[in-house]
Amino acid sequence: MTKLIRRWIPSLLFATLPGLTVLAGYLSPDPMLGYLRDLLVEGAVIVAAFAFLLGTFNVLRVHGGKIGQRERGWPYSLVLLIAMMVAWIPPLLQSLVQRPPIQETLEVATQALFNYVIGPVGASLAALVVFTLTLSAFRLMRVRRSAGAILFLLIVALVLLGSAPLMGLEWLTSARDWIINVPGMAGMRGLLLGVALGTVITGLRVLFTSDRPHSEF
Amino acid sequence: MDVGAILLLILSALVLAVLLILRGRKGPHPRIRPLSAFRDLWEEAGYAAESGGAIHIALGGGGLNGEDAITSLAALQVVEALADTAISYHAPPVVTVGDPTLAPLAEDILRRAYERNGILELYNPTSVRFVAPSPVAYAAGAAHIVATEHITANMMSGAFGAEVSLIANAGTQQDLTQLAAAADPRALGALYPSTDRLAVGEELYTAGAQMTDERRFTVSLVAQDILRVILVLAILGTAALAILGGW
Repeated sequence: MTKLIRRWIPSLLFATLPGLTVLAGYLSPDPMLGYLRDLLVEGAVIVAAFAFLLGTFNVLRVHGGKIGQRERGWPYSLVLLIAMMVAWIPPLLQSLVQRPPIQETLEVATQALFNYVIGPVGASLAALVVFTLTLSAFRLMRVRRSAGAILFLLIVALVLLGSAPLMGLEWLTSARDWIINVPGMAGMRGLLLGVALGTVITGLRVLFTSDRPHSEF
Repeated sequence: MDVGAILLLILSALVLAVLLILRGRKGPHPRIRPLSAFRDLWEEAGYAAESGGAIHIALGGGGLNGEDAITSLAALQVVEALADTAISYHAPPVVTVGDPTLAPLAEDILRRAYERNGILELYNPTSVRFVAPSPVAYAAGAAHIVATEHITANMMSGAFGAEVSLIANAGTQQDLTQLAAAADPRALGALYPSTDRLAVGEELYTAGAQMTDERRFTVSLVAQDILRVILVLAILGTAALAILGGW
């Protein structure tokens, strides 16, 4: 009886039943199932919002601890926490102060924060990815001289060169298109089919309560 | 309503249910091909304990309420499988997440492992860290952890894009053992130059079977293989019919 209560009832109530309802809501045109699906998905969104609050506390705890114990790199943690607090100010004041001119100013400040700080910093980091990828390719040539690695690098070079407007080397564009559309697409489809199967089986394990990541029992 | 999706779901459910009923508890244990991306983690846990460091497990930017939910759950199996050993060695892993919905689950897995080992008082909730909600910021934050903390091995398992290259690059600069499992082709392209211990695509979902040998995981792998064969036969059959129909 204890095993039933501790193991099966929570799993059935919180995993199997809502999971099957949402799945049925997506697969069936029945409006009632659609309504139940939307209700459960909305509930998940609310829970996720609370998870963001927990995430914020996690950031405060981790970086507060680093600053308190003067761990390596603690000044970065300090900058992070200060930036986080500063980013909170405009939206927080916006919800507290109801006067329209101040509301507008705070709205502009929030937008400016996104447009002139978060956006450009994100774009710079994304640009950095190109350099780390190039660096990895160079390292690959040095440390792993296998047939697979050489083929990988040759194809990367061919696809990159084929994307450039080089005079007299138009055949590279055709070669690039062939690589992307024939072997590339075939490989991608095989990969995605495998991923879809893995996803379905893992999801079904949770629905069958064979896999209970949320429970000890 | 997608008939193909419904058919695939029903077929998968049937195959898995039959296998779980028939071979879930008894019968010969299915043998699986070992993948270096997961098998080497035990050695790395031992090395982390000896050197007083920790394994970094990056779970990616996926959460529990998005399209990457199942990938993230599969990636969590790495933490689940490694937790007991790492904690018994007193070398808990540092787990980074890019979605806060994954953090409580990962924290719970580690806390339960401490509880099972009877050392709950040693549990440190900062072992699991929510880094940032955007994928690139998450990768940059996780790379900083790899570069500045005493990390002995870098495991990247979960929902990533090309930005995972930032984490892998930090690991390479620290000369760490790098292990990775990803489903997204962009992440695979970025990870391939950094490590040869790479679980590709569907191999990510085998983490539980690779690391624990539990029957529920190995049986579901068999179900996956059966379904793959059925899919391949269906594709070949459709192609053959199309060719014959064309003639």
